[in-house]
Amino acid sequence: MSNRRPKAGAGKMMAAQRGSEKRRSAALVGAAVAVLVVFAGAIGFGLYQAQREPASAAVPPGATEQGIPVGSPDAPVTLDSYIDFQCPACAAFEQRTGDTIGQLVDSGKVRVIYHPVAYLDRFSSTGYSSRSSAAAGCAAASDVFPEFEEQLFTVQPPEGGDGLPTERLIEIGRAAGSGDDFAECVRQGRYEGWSQRLTDAASRAGINATPTVLVNGEQLQDVSPAGLRAAVDAAAPR
Amino acid sequence: MMTVETGRAAAVLPWVATVARLALGTVWVVAGVLKIGDPAASVRAVRAYQLLPEPVVQIVGAGLPAAELVLGVLLITGLGVRVGAVLSALLLAAFVVGIAAAWARGLRIDCGCFGSGGELGPGQEPSYGPELARDAGLLALAGLLTWWPRSRFAVDGWLLGTNAQERR
Repeated sequence: MSNRRPKAGAGKMMAAQRGSEKRRSAALVGAAVAVLVVFAGAIGFGLYQAQREPASAAVPPGATEQGIPVGSPDAPVTLDSYIDFQCPACAAFEQRTGDTIGQLVDSGKVRVIYHPVAYLDRFSSTGYSSRSSAAAGCAAASDVFPEFEEQLFTVQPPEGGDGLPTERLIEIGRAAGSGDDFAECVRQGRYEGWSQRLTDAASRAGINATPTVLVNGEQLQDVSPAGLRAAVDAAAPR
Repeated sequence: MMTVETGRAAAVLPWVATVARLALGTVWVVAGVLKIGDPAASVRAVRAYQLLPEPVVQIVGAGLPAAELVLGVLLITGLGVRVGAVLSALLLAAFVVGIAAAWARGLRIDCGCFGSGGELGPGQEPSYGPELARDAGLLALAGLLTWWPRSRFAVDGWLLGTNAQERR
């Protein structure tokens, strides 16, 4: 039967067979490619999870899971200050409005919760955002956070550089009056996990820019000294 | 007339597809490389859109950089171009939905497209319009490659023995 089939028909059949083979290998390649892309994503997620796991659960004495409170717990107004030590606008804010905040804290009107988030690791080759944030935890444990914070913003390293070296962070802490344990704390990155968690918490709270200042939970739009005073006066119960 | 035009299209389209492949692939590689070093920032950027539930935010945020990178390499080498183009189109469509939704709800975020944590810089305004226009352009490239995946200098052509000039 088949040997009587005309030659043209056989050729057509072979061509059709080649075509379907080609389609099959194309489908195979396509499936492999799709699997590869999904697989890459899964590896990325796995590495992210693995990197998050081992962080220590330690919270610096004098701090909380979310940040570092400064001032009287009985103050009528609470200021949440989300700052990143790598963020130039945060340094400008500290220089312009830092003294005003200090006065408001000293008068007992305001309590500040500093959230030293690590948002800007990509702007230094050494993850300075994370390192300085963890070091801020050490400063809180040594009871020198306000001085440490002010000084870190004064000597803020430029974006895109190496950040401040660990030894420089230790010097700054010492100059602020930290105890002997501070150096060890910074060197071993004791509060890296704490820094990661408070950064995560800030992100989950919808904080998408630094500096962000909340006055009794309301975002402060005008971060000038006058703007801050006005917002604090408005928020303080009479 | 018809045949002449078809012939001309068949001659030009593989080259157009080659350029589209390389352009789209390069964008994916750049986007992936800029994100992959800081997966936590990528997760924050996805979270900033406030669209996905938290577990999905982490999977998408941490998985996206590597997926983008692989997708880009596949497109540049020309392996599985049609599937790569379809995946690109799906991803880009998702980005467009996300950015448009952020815009419509008045969120003030950076799109995080090339590796920021979704945070706006000081005094920086969201630029949803240009971001959407760019993604629409890339979506057009992905659409073209889905329709006409055959191109020059592609592993597909060598692997499957398909000539670039052959009609689909």
